Formats: sequence, structure tokens, C-alpha cells
Amino acid sequence: MPDKPSDLVQGTLDMLILKTLALEPMHGYGISVRIEQISKGVFRMNAGSLFLAIQRLERGGLIDGEWKPTENNRRARYYTLTAKGRKRLDSETREWGRQVAAIARILEAS
Amino acid sequence: MPWLRNIAIGLRSLFRKDQVDRELNEELGAYLEMAAAEKMKQGMSPKDALRAVRLERGSLDVSKEVVRSAGWESLVETCWQDLRFGLRMLRKSPGFTAVAIVTLALGIGANTAIFTMTNGLMLHTLPVRDPGQLVELLHHYPGEPEPGFNGFSWDAYQIIRDGNHVFSDLIVGAMNFFTVRGDKLQPQTVFGGGVGGTFFQALGVRAAAGRLIGPEDVHMGFHAPVAVVSWSFWKSRFDLDPAVIGKKIVVGDDAPLTIIGVTQRGFYGLSYEAQQDIWWPVSLGPSPGWGLGLLARLKPGVSLEQARTEMAVVFQRVVNVPDADPFVRRMKLRIEPAGNGVTTPLSQMLSTPLTVLMATVGLLLLLACANLAGLLLARGASRQHEMAVRACLGAPRARLLRQTLTESLLLSLLGCAVGIFLAYFAAHALIRVFASGRFIMGAPVHFEALTNPDAHVLLFTLAIALLTGLLCGAVPAMSASKTEPASALQQASRIGESKSRRLFGKSLVASQVALSLVLMSSASLFLEYLSHLRNLNLGFERNNLLLVTLDFAQSGYNAAQFSRPSQELVMRLDAIPGVSSATFSSVSPMEGPGASSFAFSEGHPEKRTQVSINYVAPAYFETYGTPFLAGRDFSAGDQAGSPVAIINEAAARDCFGNENPIGKNITLSHITLTKGERTYEVVGVVGDAKYNDLQQATPPTIYPDLLQQGFIGSQLAIRTRIDPSGVAGAVRQTEAAVLKTVPIVRIMTMNEQIDSSIVPQRLIAMLSAGFGALGAMLAAIGLYGLLAYTVAGRTHEIGVRMALGAAGTDVIRIVLRDGLWMVCAGLAIGAPLAFWGIRVATSLIPDLPVASPLPIVVAAAIMIAVGLLAAHLPARRAMRVDPMVALRCD
Repeated sequence: MPDKPSDLVQGTLDMLILKTLALEPMHGYGISVRIEQISKGVFRMNAGSLFLAIQRLERGGLIDGEWKPTENNRRARYYTLTAKGRKRLDSETREWGRQVAAIARILEAS
Repeated sequence: MPWLRNIAIGLRSLFRKDQVDRELNEELGAYLEMAAAEKMKQGMSPKDALRAVRLERGSLDVSKEVVRSAGWESLVETCWQDLRFGLRMLRKSPGFTAVAIVTLALGIGANTAIFTMTNGLMLHTLPVRDPGQLVELLHHYPGEPEPGFNGFSWDAYQIIRDGNHVFSDLIVGAMNFFTVRGDKLQPQTVFGGGVGGTFFQALGVRAAAGRLIGPEDVHMGFHAPVAVVSWSFWKSRFDLDPAVIGKKIVVGDDAPLTIIGVTQRGFYGLSYEAQQDIWWPVSLGPSPGWGLGLLARLKPGVSLEQARTEMAVVFQRVVNVPDADPFVRRMKLRIEPAGNGVTTPLSQMLSTPLTVLMATVGLLLLLACANLAGLLLARGASRQHEMAVRACLGAPRARLLRQTLTESLLLSLLGCAVGIFLAYFAAHALIRVFASGRFIMGAPVHFEALTNPDAHVLLFTLAIALLTGLLCGAVPAMSASKTEPASALQQASRIGESKSRRLFGKSLVASQVALSLVLMSSASLFLEYLSHLRNLNLGFERNNLLLVTLDFAQSGYNAAQFSRPSQELVMRLDAIPGVSSATFSSVSPMEGPGASSFAFSEGHPEKRTQVSINYVAPAYFETYGTPFLAGRDFSAGDQAGSPVAIINEAAARDCFGNENPIGKNITLSHITLTKGERTYEVVGVVGDAKYNDLQQATPPTIYPDLLQQGFIGSQLAIRTRIDPSGVAGAVRQTEAAVLKTVPIVRIMTMNEQIDSSIVPQRLIAMLSAGFGALGAMLAAIGLYGLLAYTVAGRTHEIGVRMALGAAGTDVIRIVLRDGLWMVCAGLAIGAPLAFWGIRVATSLIPDLPVASPLPIVVAAAIMIAVGLLAAHLPARRAMRVDPMVALRCD
């Protein structure tokens, strides 16, 4: 199955969630839809691992959660990036760029 | 503070479980519903959409479990579950639980009790500056049992002070106990002493009020009439009143001292159990006595060994003076670390017993561990089915391991709690034995230091409890978690067990037998030694002898006035029904202190014999039951005549050889009481009788006439025809009537006095016998448990055997052989260990009888008997197996 979700590199899920929340506060489903849309269905996550990551980020103080009504009158928890989360996102993005460039250089070297 | 946030959120989900659960449900539910709504927009039916979402995104319950189990609080929660489950399991088998807890409580309690005392006596660091540098100076005579005396002469002090390069300070402090009184102060016995001018400065002690004694208070030949008291004395006697400074206080019979200061809070002098409350300046100056207590502080970088080497040489200058007495020349110096307090009568009495007992209780705990491990193993086997079911239902191996360990830790902690409780009472019971020791009796010793567990003790106990729990639980837990579910479920109807596990169970029983052999053989050794001490030929009749110690210090009697009332008292005591004779003496045997001197005998000017001295009144030998070998007793007529004395057989032999000593003169020099010389005519020779030490050979002893010499004898001895306690009341009344101003310090029987001189030996014997019996009992429980369980597991096999014609006795033989085999294996392992243990004990306690295999043989015989007894019940049960029932139960 081509659209079977790929296993995420350890730790990248956190970075993707942070990146998604950098645009606007969002609830869990919104996060997963956004990641799937932008990755064109390469990353599809199940509820367990998504909320596990959200719990980890929230406990680490990188995001804050707040109950709010949704468009269709349900209640959902919306997550916002904290200042600390934004800083972490910046540093992780930089680090990721460095690593990707390095890996690309190695792969192209042959 | 991310961790703070993590803890806060975790705590919220622990304590507001329902709300957090609801929120998680709602959030995940919303997530899945939104996903389903998306699918429905694409045209799926609601049912299909929900199914598709569950497949794609995972079900609500699984996701919830994933999220929930990731937090730290879920570990806490499962541990809590384990704990509750463990408690439920323990409650379900109360018999097992009770045996396990009692076993552990005894093991842990014994360790705690002994450790509490070791801690109080030997492990308290003195609250002074750099206690590690403090050393104590002791002089001793090589070959004598006493560890030494902390007392030096003025000359010795000067030579040590000026001749050493290893001490930065030489601290003078002569400690003893004294009666202290003052205006509005009840007389009270406290520890204290004279100290040198640098005492507090060198120890680094500050004043809580006023000032402390300094060099300006100590002068040659006299001292300023001032005193310093401890903070606790200030609190208990003066209620921290600042006006204490300037108050007068009287120590003993000396002139009043003015209190000038209070030491800092927490300073208790030089020993934790003999806490000091009062100090005054010592008066320095030439004096013939050896009464200056010395401590020293090592210079930085100087080791104890260096100090010992240098001081041994320096001390030669002290003893090798031209006119020194040969007795003094034999003296050696000892330097011992004093950071944990100086040697006291109590620490002297107890340090060896406590070391021996600490080793014993360590073995006992090991035995308890092996016992409990065996019980847990057997229990684990019977719970194989349960474990298999849990493993089948998906419990991870680690979780099963943790569950089993939780149960064993639970047991050990419960045992620990009961053990601490037991230890508290055990320590109090032991204290009563300590307090009966001579040199300890009547001293203001802080016994609570030896009974009250402090933080060290509680930590120690908790540590051994946890260690015990892990040790006992580890193997059963491993074997439980290794259970293969399939095979366990198959065999569930018949308790199956692997060969290795059965062997392990047997080796546990064997090791218990081995350990209890060690305990029992040492117990039998110590008991034998104690009975040897108690049955020694003392040279006098120990039964029916009442001893009364009188205190003449405040009575107003002087030596000249003593003779008449003492004779009257003896006459009136003799008249009490049940009393056969009464007498006075300066020393009573085994009381403790004594006097000795050198004796020159007539016709042998070159001969010098060290003799012990006891001044005795007429009828002393009759009262004590020591036989006359030659000559006569003192009589009333001697009081007016020339000095006469009676000597014992050893003195006759050492001073006069084969000659008849009667009528010959004997001269004492350097007499402790008079410091002079005195010549006596020997009028009688008596049999050898022990002087003040049960273990030492009877010393040559001279008994001068107490009344003739005009001394006061404070030791009253009464020979009775009935139980001595029966006349004690009448003796008290008579004494009070005749010697109105003389208080009785104590009344005890000779047997009690003998016992008080061998407290350490009694303590070791009593306790090791108790621990030995306990060990044997535990081993018996272990053996019984294993055999009972094996028989239960072999019911089927035994049924088959019996169906095939085996007789009941054959079955009994099988079980007994099984049990005996384990006992014998244990004995084989234990015998060399026990022999080694006895060797160690002999090296610790010098006059223990030489290592012989007898105690081990005795212990082995007891263990075999105990083993047979323990195997008997399961064997009987095996015999009563009904083949029909056994075969049907499958």
C-alpha cells in the first residue's frame, strides 16, 4: 500500500506538531489533517501516537491546551505554541536542516 | 520548570482520575468523530465511516491506554495495584503470612536491637572539631585483660607533653562520676571531671553562656574555684536561667565552685553513653598518683601508627626512672582513636559481646532469608497456574516479576515494622542486664542512648529489610516469571515443578541447617563457657551469702570510732534467726576494685611478690567458708597486740616456698591505702579464694586484721542458713538501728555479685543460646514446609506406590530419607563453617576454652533430632494417603 503511513523518524513527530501549531492554534484532529495534507498522505498517524506526542509536549511546557467549542458545536481541546515551544521549533528546524543537508551530501557523494 | 508541570499534571490525573478520564474520552471521541464526519462527507454510511476510522486511526480504548500508560503516574498506579493485590494475596493465606512476618520480624528485630546498641556505644562521633584526630592515651600491663587506664602521673604528663612531636594538643581531662549539690539543687550523681586549661579550646567547644575554662584558671598546685556545666544540665536543673552564671555548686565533699559558663548545646563530653555535665579546672602539680586523664589531638598528617611508634619510645622515659617500682616498669602505653568517644566501663564491657552478637544476628537474618525464600518458592510453585493465566492474558514478564517482588517486599516491610517494635523491647530487656554489671551499677549512664533507635538505626533497619525482601523474592520471582504458560496450564491439575527448582528448594533447606549449625555450635560453646565460670571452685561458698555495701563517707564516723559499733552490729546480726555468722572487710570478692602491693618475706630479702590485699574482721573466713590450712583466725586480743595477718596458700608458696609461714614476718610496701611500709606477723594460712576476677588465677593474697589496723570496712557479709533474701529486711533494720548515719548502698547475694562480674559472658551465652534455638526452629519450619509441600505434590506418586503394594513404613522411609538427606547435606556444609566460627570466637574472647569439635557434635545431634521431628508430620501424612483417593483426584 503506497499510502500506508511511514514510520516517523524518532522525535520528528514532535517537530511536525510544533510546526503545525506555529501557524495557528488547532485541535488534535486538525493537527493530523494538516500534517497529512501537507505531506500528501505520507504521514498518517493513529490517534494513540498523536495524543501521546501532544501529552509529552504539553507536559514539557512547549504547548498549552484549552477547551473551546468547534465549528460544529462540539468541545475540543485547542493547542497553542508557547514561547518555549517556538524556540524549540526554531532550534529543531535548524538542526533538522543541517542533518538533511549532511545526509544529502553523503548520498550524492558517490 | 517542565518537570514541575509534569508532576502537577501527573498528580492531577492521579487524584482527579474521573475528570481526567472524561476529558481524554471527550478529546479522543471528538477526534474520531471528526474523522468519521469527514468520511461521511465523502458518502460513507455512518456505520462504515466509524469502522473505517477505527481501522485507520486505532480504536478509542487502545489509544486511551497508549496515552494513559505513558505518564509517570501510570507507574505509580500499577505499583499501587500490585500493592493492593499483594495485600489481598497475603490476607488470603494468613498462615503463610504470619509465619513469614514472624520469621522476618525475629531476624530483623534481632539485628535492629543489637545494632541500636552498637550504634549508641561505638558509632557516635563526638560533637567536637575534627574528631578523627582525637586519640586517647591509656597505660596498661601487657597480658592483663583490662584494655588500660586513662590515668597518668604528673611526671608522665610532663614527659609526654615535652617529648612528643606528634600531638598538636595534649588535653587533660580526668572523668568520673560525682555527687553534685547546691542551693535549691537536689543532690544528683553526674559524670564530670577536672580538665586542663586547653580542654575546651583544643576540642573546639564554644560557650552557650558565660565563658569556658581557660589556661588562666589552672595554676600550679591549685585551681580557680570555678565550674562549667553542660547545656543539658543548664536546661534540666536551671531551666536555661541566665542567672546560673555566678551560682555556687558543690562537687563531692570539696569546696563550692562558682559556675562561670555553659558549654554549647549538643556537647556532651567525651562519651555518648557517659555524658558529662560538669567540668572544673584540674590542679596541676607534682603528685605521686596516676590520676591525670590524657587525650591528645594528632598533628595534621600524623598517622596513628606514627604516634604509637614515637610515643612507645617516649613512654620508656616515663617508666624507666631509677627508683621506679618493677610494677611500673612493666607498663606500656596504648594510643587508641577517640573520635567516637573514649573508653568507658560500659564500652569496655560491651564492645566484644556486641561484635560477637552482631555477627550472630547477621547469620540469623541470613537464615530467616533462606527460610522465607523457601516458603515463597513453594508458594510460587502453587501459584504457577495463576501466573500462567496472567501471562496468557498478556501480562508482560516484567510485570509478573514486579508483582512477585512487591509481595516479598511487602512481607519484609511488615516484618521490619514488627521487628522494630520487638527490638525496642529487646533492647530494654538487655539494658537491665547491662545495668547489673559491676562498675556500671549506680553510674549515671545514659542507657537511653542504647535503646532509642535514631535515624541511623532506622535507616539500617530499612536497608536490611529491603535487602531481605529482594533477596527472598528474587529467585521465586525469577522462577515465577519464567513460567511457560502452555506447560504450566497443561500441568495445572498436578502441581508440576522443574528439577532445578526442586534442587534449589532443597539447597535452601540445607543452607538453613548449615547456618543453624553454626549458631547452635557457638551457642553451645558459650553456654559451656558460662557454666564453666559458674561452677568454678572459688575457694569460698557462694550460696547463702548476703553482701551489704555501706557508705561511710557522710556518716561522721572515723576509723577509730568504727571498731565498737561494727562489733555490736556483727553481734546483733548474728542473733537474727537464719544468720549463722557476719563479718566486715574492705573488699568483697568479685566486687571489682581491690588493692595490691609488693610483699617482702622474712628471710628472703631478694624476693618480691605482688600480693592482693583485703583487710578483714574476725570470722571473715568462717563467714565466707574458706578453710584454714594452718594457724588461727584473728581474735579480739589481736587488737591491742602487734600487727598480724593471714595469707592464702598462693602467698605462702610464693613468699615462703616450702617453709612454714606461721610466725614469720611479711612486709608490705607501696600500700595503696597508706603509701607506707608495714610489717605483719603471719598467724594463719587459708585456702586460695578468688579475689576480684573469676577468670584469673587466684592471686597471692594477704588479709591483715581490719580492726587492728583501724580501717573502716564498708563490705558487710552475712552467712545465712536460709535463703539470703529472707533476712535482707532484718539486716536492713539492724544496720539502721546500729549505724544510724550510714546508708546502705546496695544489698545483693554473692551469686548476684558474681553474675555482675560476668555480664559480657552471660550476655553472649544467653543471647547466642536464644538465637541458636531460633535458628533451629526456623530450619525446622523450612524443612517441614518443604517436605509438606513435596508430599502434597507427590500424593499421586505415593498413591501409585501404595497401590502397587508399598507399605506405610516404606512411604515414611522415603519422606524421612528425603528430609535427613537435606539435614546431612546442611551439616556437611555447616561443620567447617561452624569450626571456623568457633575459631573466630576464640580469637575474640581470649579465655574461651580451646576450639574443640564437641559443640559442633552436640549441635549436629540436635539438628538431626530437629530434622526428624520436622519430617515426622509430613511423613505421617504421606503414610495416610489413600491410594484410591490419590489416583482419583486427577
